[in-house]
Amino acid sequence: MLTKELIGLIGNETGLSKKDTEQLLATMTAILRENLMAGKTIQLQGIGTLEVKERKERVIVHPKTGNRTVSPSKKQIAFKPVANMKDHLKKI
Amino acid sequence: MAEKLSWTELRRALASRAGVSEKSAGAFLNSFNAQLIEALKTEKQVKVNGLGTFKLQAVAARKSVNVKTGEEITIPGYNKIVFASEAGVKELVESNGEGRMANGERPMEKGEGIENDPLKKLGVQAAEIVDILGELGQSPNTEANGERLEAKGEEPVVEPEPVVEPEPVVEIEPVVEPVVEPVAEPVKEEPQPEEPKKKKKHHFWRDTLICVVCLLIVLVIAFFFFRSEISSWIKSFVEENKTEIVVPAEEQETPVTVTEEVTETPEVVQEPEVVIEPQVEPETAVEPDLSRYKGLIKTEEITEGSRLAWIAKKYYGDQAYWPYLYDANKDRIDNPSKITIGTPIRVPKLTKAQKDTTTVEFLELKRIAEEAIR
Repeated sequence: MLTKELIGLIGNETGLSKKDTEQLLATMTAILRENLMAGKTIQLQGIGTLEVKERKERVIVHPKTGNRTVSPSKKQIAFKPVANMKDHLKKI
Repeated sequence: MAEKLSWTELRRALASRAGVSEKSAGAFLNSFNAQLIEALKTEKQVKVNGLGTFKLQAVAARKSVNVKTGEEITIPGYNKIVFASEAGVKELVESNGEGRMANGERPMEKGEGIENDPLKKLGVQAAEIVDILGELGQSPNTEANGERLEAKGEEPVVEPEPVVEPEPVVEIEPVVEPVVEPVAEPVKEEPQPEEPKKKKKHHFWRDTLICVVCLLIVLVIAFFFFRSEISSWIKSFVEENKTEIVVPAEEQETPVTVTEEVTETPEVVQEPEVVIEPQVEPETAVEPDLSRYKGLIKTEEITEGSRLAWIAKKYYGDQAYWPYLYDANKDRIDNPSKITIGTPIRVPKLTKAQKDTTTVEFLELKRIAEEAIR
């Protein structure tokens, strides 16, 4: 599902106009991004948490040439679903 | 790091930033959550612009062993939720914070590692060339080169046909093979003593050798590219006037090749692979049943390290569909796990019904394909 469709659905439920919903969603993602950049963990109630995790640097081996190189440490956004939702979606 | 942005804080921030009441911001957020979950259920994938994509990913059932009792148990399949951040967002997060310093240094090392690789390969190549040159140094046949180049230049003129470039070589290669072996052996047996004298000629030799090798490689690649056309053309051509062409080619080449075809020993080894017309021709005869597919997405060549499953994943998004690839290419593939590099693979379009992996039709195809492996 694309963002457009999601906006349509949210608009239907809350009675907000499409434009307003779009703007709210954009603002929300902007806030989330800023907080993630600041290294904060974000709790999305009923869904899960988004957090920035640091991946340590590690040695990677090129499968063909066998060359060993260092993959630098990096940061990734990790999502951890709430247990309730996880179970809910396990069986569909 | 451990700081949290709670739901309430998010609501407040959203309300103040967007200029709406806290209540409506809360309503929006709740609705967002609810719709996200609903959408995950129905569509399995939700894209949120500016953040990332939430996906529902199926984990297949697998067998395991009860550690205590040693019994075999089946762990049932389930769905898990996966989040992939949008490309730009990831970089934002990455660029920020303390990780930067360490990151700044590390990629250098990585870069070095990568640069080393081609260098090594060049070194190996150089060593190989030097070896070959060492062998060649003993046979005094610099003149032959000129002749050879002339011969090459003449060939297109001799052949009146429109398909000029690749075919003359294709025609001549079989002629070359028998000539080479007897010549190559005596040269190898005469060993090193003359080597130092020929040092100056080495440069010239290296250049011409590289030219010849490059030319051959280009021709071989070109041949692979237009293989189907060439084979069909050759077929018709050979039937029409076999004797006309082959004989003059032989006459021209033999005096030259005797002296200098030695240079091509590495290439000659490859040539048997190239001249697989007998293998290619049956294609047209045993055409696989493509009627069940809507059409072709494209034809992809098997490269080193690629497999049917890999191609299936690339074009259909799931490696489980590889039996279709085998089915569409039965004529070219004997054993799906051992495919010759360079084999062109037809990638058929799949209908929605075909994407269902539980149908009898698919299971039958899969069974046939798996049998072919054995």
